[in-house]
This record gives sequence, structure tokens and C-alpha cells, in this order.
Amino acid sequence: MNSLLTSAVAGLSAGGAYAILGVCAIFTYRLVAVVNFTGAAIGATGTFVMVALYESGVPLALAVPVGIVAGALAALAVGLVMATWFSGAAASTKAAVTAALLVGIIAVGLRLTGGQHPHNFPDLIPGSAFRLAGVEVTWAAVVTIAISVLFTFITEQFLARTQTGLELRALSQRPMAAELIGIRVKLLALSVWAVMGAVTAFALMVIAPQRAPDFMSLSLLVVPALAAALIGAFASFRAALAGGMAIGIIEGLASGLDTFSQYRGAIPFLVILAVLMWSQRGARFDEAR
Amino acid sequence: MTELTIKQLVVARGGIPVVRGIDLTVRSGEISVVLGSNGAGKTTSLEGISGIIPAKGAILLDGEDISGQAAGIRARRGLRHVEQGRTVFPEMTTEENLKVALAPGASLDEAYGLFPELVQRRDIKSAMLSGGEQQMLVIARALVGRPKVILIDEMSSGLAPVIVSRLMEAVRKLADGGMAVLLVEQFANLALGVGNRAYVLRRGAVVYNGGCEALLKDPARLHHLYLGDVADSVAMHA
Repeated sequence: MNSLLTSAVAGLSAGGAYAILGVCAIFTYRLVAVVNFTGAAIGATGTFVMVALYESGVPLALAVPVGIVAGALAALAVGLVMATWFSGAAASTKAAVTAALLVGIIAVGLRLTGGQHPHNFPDLIPGSAFRLAGVEVTWAAVVTIAISVLFTFITEQFLARTQTGLELRALSQRPMAAELIGIRVKLLALSVWAVMGAVTAFALMVIAPQRAPDFMSLSLLVVPALAAALIGAFASFRAALAGGMAIGIIEGLASGLDTFSQYRGAIPFLVILAVLMWSQRGARFDEAR
Repeated sequence: MTELTIKQLVVARGGIPVVRGIDLTVRSGEISVVLGSNGAGKTTSLEGISGIIPAKGAILLDGEDISGQAAGIRARRGLRHVEQGRTVFPEMTTEENLKVALAPGASLDEAYGLFPELVQRRDIKSAMLSGGEQQMLVIARALVGRPKVILIDEMSSGLAPVIVSRLMEAVRKLADGGMAVLLVEQFANLALGVGNRAYVLRRGAVVYNGGCEALLKDPARLHHLYLGDVADSVAMHA
């Protein structure tokens, strides 16, 4: 029992990161109407910029902010492509474009980071925060969860209570009508991308030491991120937050069970499948009748 | 005194010219009405003027050519386009729809003064408003942006006559308050009743440019302007 709890708690850190990535996925979907497959790859870009600087002797206190800025810039580049050429495209086209960009970013990222070449990922937040039922909870887990909760809360409040939040909501609902009342549509859209890039980069920096430290593995964290976003129906930040946490904990539990540990990577896929089937239950029921 | 002058406006859709070199003028305190049958190029003209779709020709706002500017910049310079289809922000309340467009120094009271009907609906999601209320909201939303010129496209579409009359009255108030209004409308008589100058488009060209009153008093001429050769042909066979 204790080993299961240990495994579940070990999943908290990943769960926090999935939650942040999931909330970011909803952030970009709700505000710029893009199902973004590049989210984790953008975060990985920032993370590897930080690692490259750290490995070449730059102090962590400088490497981390530079990595965050790099994540924001990478996201801006993707956002610029989307806002310039695909702002009026259908949602499926936009999703396909970001999937293509993901492939491109992974190819370039693997080339620049030396493929499977091992890197020295520093523990940004080392140490144990407290013990929960005899199991150590790390600061990394606490901080990722705190960031995901804080990001969700701040995003909700910002959208509900500020003029820029109102403008972002208008932009997400009717981009052309928003432009026709004078909202700076492109600037706002690019800001959304930049914030997403910065937050994602920091989240991946925190959890990278616990993951396979190569560019592709980090980029493919988009799968649990989208699974979390799906749990939130690409609309609810809070549901995505809870969903991301749940996926992380289930993954942790699975890694503690010999039978399932080799298949724990499939859990986000199973979650996506289950959510999609659940969302179609009405149509299936109607057909059956 | 604001003046929007359009010279030789050409707008194409899918490479095919829909608007073929039209000239229009709208002045402060006036309503210029654009009439024409379906496919005449009325909506396309407005979309070209506001920058939704690319257009050739000169678009002079107070003498300055804004034709090279993006739609958002034209809007911020005082050109507001109320699209057809009642484009409210559906997940936002009535009040949020207004607040998001509020210009510095403008007040929500201006919107509620024009359409007191909206006061009681201020906290309702705009998707839940009736068609007439949504049309009021998009006009009020343009108003609180304190534009110099407002372009209104087919505001009567799908609405009851009593609501359309209410909207026409409100548009007249906007013009009387000093705004320049370019009104595209299918219901010719209602629009001519509130307008100052009329333009009739046929196949992308202006076939009438003159006072509204003259056209309102001569329905046969209006009918002929709408249908052109078809009207002559029908008359010959009658």
C-alpha cells in the first residue's frame, strides 16, 4: 500500500506539469482558436536553451530566465505563422499546421541538441518539501502544482475582470468582429502565444530532470497535455487542471505496478480515447434507438 | 465635419470583380443609403471600405487615404462596420459586449440612451437576446466606440417590421448626433424614409446617385433602377 502511495505521490510532479500544459492548451484554443500541437515542443525549446547555457557555465539564475524568454520567442514565431497566414482558416487546418510545425520543431530540435546525447538537466527546485503518509513530496511537485493552480486562477480572473481579458474573449469568439471594433487582434494573439511559451518552458524546466532528457520525449508531452485539455473539453481550465493531475497520478500508480509499468506511457492515449467515446455517447445512444 | 469619400472602388471575390469602380460620399449628420437587389455588390462594397476584403480605389476619411490600412487600423481611426448577421460576442453579456468596445471618454449610458431596451438585459449573455436586441446591441457597440463614420449592413434582415422601424429611428438619431452613416438595406422604402442621399447599385456599378426623397416618391423609377433591362423586358411583355 505504501509503495502505491509512493508511486502516486511520485506522479504529482508530472501531473502538475501535465496540468500546466493542459491549461496552456486550453488557453491557446479558447483565445486564438488553435488546437496547438507545438506547446510542449515550444517548452522543450526554452528548456534546452536553458540547459545549453547551464552546460556552458552560465549561472542557473541567468540561464532560466533566458530559457523562458526563448520559449516565449519560439511561441511567438509559431504564433506569427498562425496569425499571419492562418487566422481565418478552419480549426482543422490550424491544428494540421501546428502538427506539421511540431514535426519540424522536433527535427530541428533533435539536430541541434544532439539527438539522444545525454544532457545535464539541473534540478531547479531540489529537495523534499514534506512527508505525506510517510512518503516524501518534493519541492518540484509542490511548485509545479502551485504554478498550475496559480496559472489557472490568474487566467480566469484576468479574462473575467480586465479590459484586456474582455478583448481576448471577444477575439476568441469573433475575431473579425473584434477587429472591426478596433481591438488589436494580432498583438493580442501574439501575446497569448508568448505567455503560453514562457509558462510551458518553465514547467518543462522543472520536470525535465524526471523525464527522458531528450528533445523528442519532452516535445511529446503534448499528448498528456491534450488529454488534460480534452478532459476540460477545451473549455474549462479547472477541469484541465484536475485532469492533468489525475493523469500524472495514474501514471505514477501504473509505474508502481509491475504488470502496467511498461504501458504507463499509453495512459494519456487511453484517457483521450475514453473522453472522446464519452463525448460521443449521446450520438451512439441516438443511433442505437 | 467628417467626410468619407470613396473613389473608383473595385472589389473582387475569387478573382471576379463584384464592385466595379463606384464613387460614394458620406458626411457627418447624413445617412447615405445603398440599395440594390441581391448580388448587386452592396455588402461587398462595405467589406471593401472597412478592409475586410482587399479593394482597389481611394477611401478618403477626412481627406486622408486609408485604403492601404488594415481593418483594425481603419476601425481605430473612426470607421466602424456593423456587419450583417448580428455579430455579437455570444458568450459575453450585453454589458461586456459594450464595455469591450468602449472608447476613452465614452459611457455605457450613450448605448443605453439609444436603446433603453438593453438596460434590463445588461447581465444576459448576448446569445440569449432576441434578434432585434442583438441588432440593437451591435449598433450600440459601434456607437460607444465613438466612430466618425458607421457602416451598417442589412440590419433589418430577419426582423419584424416594428423592430426595423425602431432601428431606423435609432440610426437617424445617430446621424442627427453628428455621425456619418452609410446604410446598406434591402427594405428600400424604410431606408429611403430616414436617409438623405441614395445610391442604387446594379451589377457592381452605381446607377443612381441622388436624394432619397425623389426616389421615395417615384417607386416605378426605383423598380426600374433595381431591375434595369429585366424591368424593361417585363414591361414589354406585359
